[in-house]
Amino acid sequence: MDQLSLTRRAFFANSSAHLGALGLASLLQPRLFGAEATAGRGVSGLAGLPHFAAKAKRVIYLFQSGGPAQMDLFDYKPGLAEQAGEEVPKSIYPDERKTTMTSAQSSFAVAPSIFKFAQHGGAGTWMSELLPHTAAIADELCVIRSLHTDAINHDPAITLLQTGSQIPGRPSSGSWVGYGLGSDSADLPAFVALSSRGAAKADQPLYDRLWGSGFLPTKYQGVKFRNQGNPVLDLSDPEGVDRQTRREWLDQLAKLDRLKYQQSGDPEIQTRIAQYELAYRMQMSVPELTDFTAEPKQILDSYGPEVGKQGTYAYNCLLARRLAERGVRFIQLFHQGWDQHNNLPKQISIQCGETDQPTAALVRDLKQRGMLDDTLIVWGGEFGRTIYSQGKLTKENYGRDHHPGCFTMWLAGGGIRGGVNYGQTDDYSVNVAENGVHVHDLHATMLHLLGVDHERLTYRFQGRDFRLTDVQGRVLREVLA
Amino acid sequence: MGDWRGDGPFKMHIPSVRLIVAWLAFAAATARGLEAAETLDFNRDVRPILAAHCFHCHGPDAEARQGELRLDDAATARRVLKAGKSGQSELVRRILAVDADERMPPVDANKPLADEQKQILTRWIQEGAGYQTHWSFVPPVRSEIPEVKQAAGARGAIDRFILKRLEAADLTPSTDAERVTQLRRAALDLTGLPPTPAEVAEFLADKSDAAYARQIDRLLASPRYGEHMAAGWLEAARYADTDGYQNDRYRYQHAWRDWVILAYNENKPFDEFVVEQLAGDMLPGATLAQQIATGFGRNHRINSEDGSIPGEWQVEYVIDRVDTLGTVFLGLTVGCARCHDHKYDPLSQKDYYRLFAYFNNVPEWGVGPNNGNSPPFIKVPAGWPHAEPQENQFVVPEAVKLRAARTEMGNGLKRPQPGGTDTVMVMHELAEPRPTYLLKRGQYNLPDKSEVLAAGLPESLDAGSASASQNRLELAKWLVSPEHPLLARVTVNRMWQQFFGVGLVKTSENFGAQGETPSHPELLDWLARELIESGWNVKALHRDIVLSSTYRQSSAVTTRQLALDPENRWLARGPRYRLPAFALRDQALAVSGLLVEKPYGPPTKPYLPLRLWESISNNKYEQDHGEALYRRSLYTFWRRTIPPPLLTTLNAAEREVCVVRKDRTNTPLQALTMMNNVAFVEASRFLAERMLQEGGATADERIRYGFQLVTARQPTSDEYSILTGAHASFLERFQHDPADATKLLATGERPRDPSLDAIEHAAATLTASLLLNLDETSSKE
Repeated sequence: MDQLSLTRRAFFANSSAHLGALGLASLLQPRLFGAEATAGRGVSGLAGLPHFAAKAKRVIYLFQSGGPAQMDLFDYKPGLAEQAGEEVPKSIYPDERKTTMTSAQSSFAVAPSIFKFAQHGGAGTWMSELLPHTAAIADELCVIRSLHTDAINHDPAITLLQTGSQIPGRPSSGSWVGYGLGSDSADLPAFVALSSRGAAKADQPLYDRLWGSGFLPTKYQGVKFRNQGNPVLDLSDPEGVDRQTRREWLDQLAKLDRLKYQQSGDPEIQTRIAQYELAYRMQMSVPELTDFTAEPKQILDSYGPEVGKQGTYAYNCLLARRLAERGVRFIQLFHQGWDQHNNLPKQISIQCGETDQPTAALVRDLKQRGMLDDTLIVWGGEFGRTIYSQGKLTKENYGRDHHPGCFTMWLAGGGIRGGVNYGQTDDYSVNVAENGVHVHDLHATMLHLLGVDHERLTYRFQGRDFRLTDVQGRVLREVLA
Repeated sequence: MGDWRGDGPFKMHIPSVRLIVAWLAFAAATARGLEAAETLDFNRDVRPILAAHCFHCHGPDAEARQGELRLDDAATARRVLKAGKSGQSELVRRILAVDADERMPPVDANKPLADEQKQILTRWIQEGAGYQTHWSFVPPVRSEIPEVKQAAGARGAIDRFILKRLEAADLTPSTDAERVTQLRRAALDLTGLPPTPAEVAEFLADKSDAAYARQIDRLLASPRYGEHMAAGWLEAARYADTDGYQNDRYRYQHAWRDWVILAYNENKPFDEFVVEQLAGDMLPGATLAQQIATGFGRNHRINSEDGSIPGEWQVEYVIDRVDTLGTVFLGLTVGCARCHDHKYDPLSQKDYYRLFAYFNNVPEWGVGPNNGNSPPFIKVPAGWPHAEPQENQFVVPEAVKLRAARTEMGNGLKRPQPGGTDTVMVMHELAEPRPTYLLKRGQYNLPDKSEVLAAGLPESLDAGSASASQNRLELAKWLVSPEHPLLARVTVNRMWQQFFGVGLVKTSENFGAQGETPSHPELLDWLARELIESGWNVKALHRDIVLSSTYRQSSAVTTRQLALDPENRWLARGPRYRLPAFALRDQALAVSGLLVEKPYGPPTKPYLPLRLWESISNNKYEQDHGEALYRRSLYTFWRRTIPPPLLTTLNAAEREVCVVRKDRTNTPLQALTMMNNVAFVEASRFLAERMLQEGGATADERIRYGFQLVTARQPTSDEYSILTGAHASFLERFQHDPADATKLLATGERPRDPSLDAIEHAAATLTASLLLNLDETSSKE
């Protein structure tokens, strides 16, 4: 790196002679993924942000794609056991907002969860037997059972949850955060998305728009790490080109581009030279990031047996911690496979078996490093599932359709009160009974914890100041530490 | 079209600035650098302030309006404005109020006025508080070509408009760029491909005054022109090869894409281009080609997700058509009025649903067939886009035929029949129009059934001819009427954006109150009238632009120009920008000799990172082999939910919804793509082959040849010495490790010429890669 820094210093000196302060300033602030890089380490965000002292410096969002069944995991409804097989009253669940997958069913029979529930932690938080590891960290969690959303199909629901709108074209939450706050990392993006698929049936796809930057400049888009092979597209030099050759090649390219700059004066040329250098640095920082060999055995073991396997949820949980340590602002895991229309008991068991332990391990790992205090963890999917059975209901088996009326998420870490239960649903886990939390409220709260007033983080597009929370959003002050 | 000017011609005279308020005396020049003596212009100086700070509560939106005060409407605003008497005007009292409870805008609105803005508002009232109709709602009139001092440098009218503004800004235009630079710039802008050495040589040998114009005419006549122009239109028209929701199933809409290419190449007048795409099916004696043109209205996303509620999605498709119409033809954010009256522009929610009614009569079903085209669709003749006269006849599309999607008990989902690869989706009218209602909060399940809305134009745009435009065809004809205030302006502005990097109105998607006012209003209107009066001749206008001195200027920038005009809005220098994504890949294919020029037909599937689709979706990418790998990027298969990363990394639009302006970024991911993506490494390998095979016998000649292939010019001696030094070190490196040479040469599928020395070829490949990565190569300069 000495040679590189020398080159860069010489370059600074050269360029400032040509363009005076302007040229130097733009060079000292090469645009990385976020806003402007300072001369040292890190990428700063908008001036004036954070708006107030942040409780959390970063977010790790454990997105459970497909819609986990709230009543089989968190939303305990003991009273339903005796109503098994009876019709869900129309007064509770009218026909008009049922998907066409089940709307023509002749029966909407109550399917109580077959899983055992117990209370955990100081607050006596109910959780099912599917989540023994999560249960053990109950005192860290704020479980919200009263989430609700507007959309009933995956695509619009997940788009709403990610971008605050069902219509494509809006920036994702991580892009908003990167735009507002920048990154603490000089050679990694502000927003990284990771994805995994386990052994359970996972029909629901993901889309690039979920980590897209919408109308924000594309430098704010989440960099989707690939779940196989090289995490970043085109990161590796072609076969037969070693590091030294690439260094030499880059030096020659920079020389040629500098000649062009002398003739043309276009400041974009300086930016481009800096971007090639940053690419070179990423080529080194990313492999280091994904090299787990220095992790102690007990840490690796805590994440479970799949931690060493790229593309698994466990691997991504550990990678998330390593990204967090390196200053990445917003890290989002997408785990597919929660869309259990049929054979729910079997499928959800597989799903929990793969995700429960790594999730809890991540929270513990952050805690023991002192990072949980300033890392906000979010766990949850895009909607909930119906209390009525989709398809045939038996004693051992049932399916559940999409349900936007209520679902459960949990928050932990930076600025969140642990060991808290918030919000309630009705006796059927169909409607919110108390303290409803809309998707916009979740976004407002996330931004608040990051020190951002969701009403003041705006971007002018098509003549309007857009926000992540549109014209809504309430900060859930009740759950803040 | 009636009186567009509202209060009539708006005149203001030099004010008597004996203003009452003490603070005014201290307020200096305004943010716009407005001189005290300069006449205030309502549209330029006042409306933007009112729009940004006041219209939210005192504007067109009846629902949000406070105190029944409208500041966008002269008549109702009189209440708070005393013309000529700012001191007695409630508005002035309120904006200057010290008491926070009295002050406007309210403190909690977070939109305080700057002192300069208060000064302008006060002065405006003092000068008579005159209103003007928003500039873009007044039809363009042919501007007088201005007299300029530096007329010698002007080649045409465009230059005089530019010079006039430059003189005001105390800037002088740049000289012509080098001739080869001009040729390369024009070739890339008109065809998306660089000139060949032979074309450069021919141009340089032609010493006549008409040499450049001759080249321009050659480029405009090239079939590559239509391909390149189509690429931009595909983004605006949200063309894709998949449906765009969830599993993102396949559709077959390329027949429409080919219609667009042909339309540009045949120089179809732009009014016909618009009418046929919006309503070709309704033209008297419509042809099949005109019917296929209406695929434009069907390019929106279609949801095939299990469980979808058809009524919900049918509404979304209509909404997409309306919003696309708004962005691409009107330059208005009509979509804002879906849920409530527009906050800034005179578009009510009812106006929105009257526009909606034009597009609500398609015999369609809200849920897609889950692979294949959604009805209505028609068969495409085998020789398309060329059709025999007997084939070129209107076809009535088959009606929707629903079938149960699944056999499971209780599944209520019904899907329509799919159209196969030989079909294209088109617009068609139901015999009985579907009733349209205002949808409360824009929601499909909240129709206001108290009133069935007939199709009609927004009152603010329709000056009294409400009876005229009752259907889609009449809507289209209204758009292209010569008095239309928006269509021509919005269109020429997008053209300007394409050639100069920024539109005359920077917000090319928004000509409304919150959009930017034009940098050169007279030029914008002159171009608009020119387009209309030339019979909507697109090639002629493109020709005017690229023949202008403004366009042909050197793009080298001085420190002074950069300080005074960093964005180059006044155009004292030529445009210099990184090439668009499609042109970057196509250029690499062209200079390496890999490009396969084969127009039209089904999309191609070039290289894609391994398992890119499979890793997050349920679709498998079956990559093509052979010549399909090297066709122009325009033909690349566009999967909306996972668009080709090579192109989106370089700022291609995602094609989910209509996009007419995309930010150009400069990122390390782009550097990685250009350095390492197999498409660019393979192109380097074949550029190297060309250098070795065609470049001459010596390394010297070969490097010069490669340099000329990518930049169209000869290297300077400094450039040459860096390149030869680099090449020598690459050569040494592969001599030391010949196995690496073999590895590098294995990148990409096309086999190499085995007679070439591998070490030499590998070294030349890295040199060629340098050439392809030069900032100059990546830019139009």
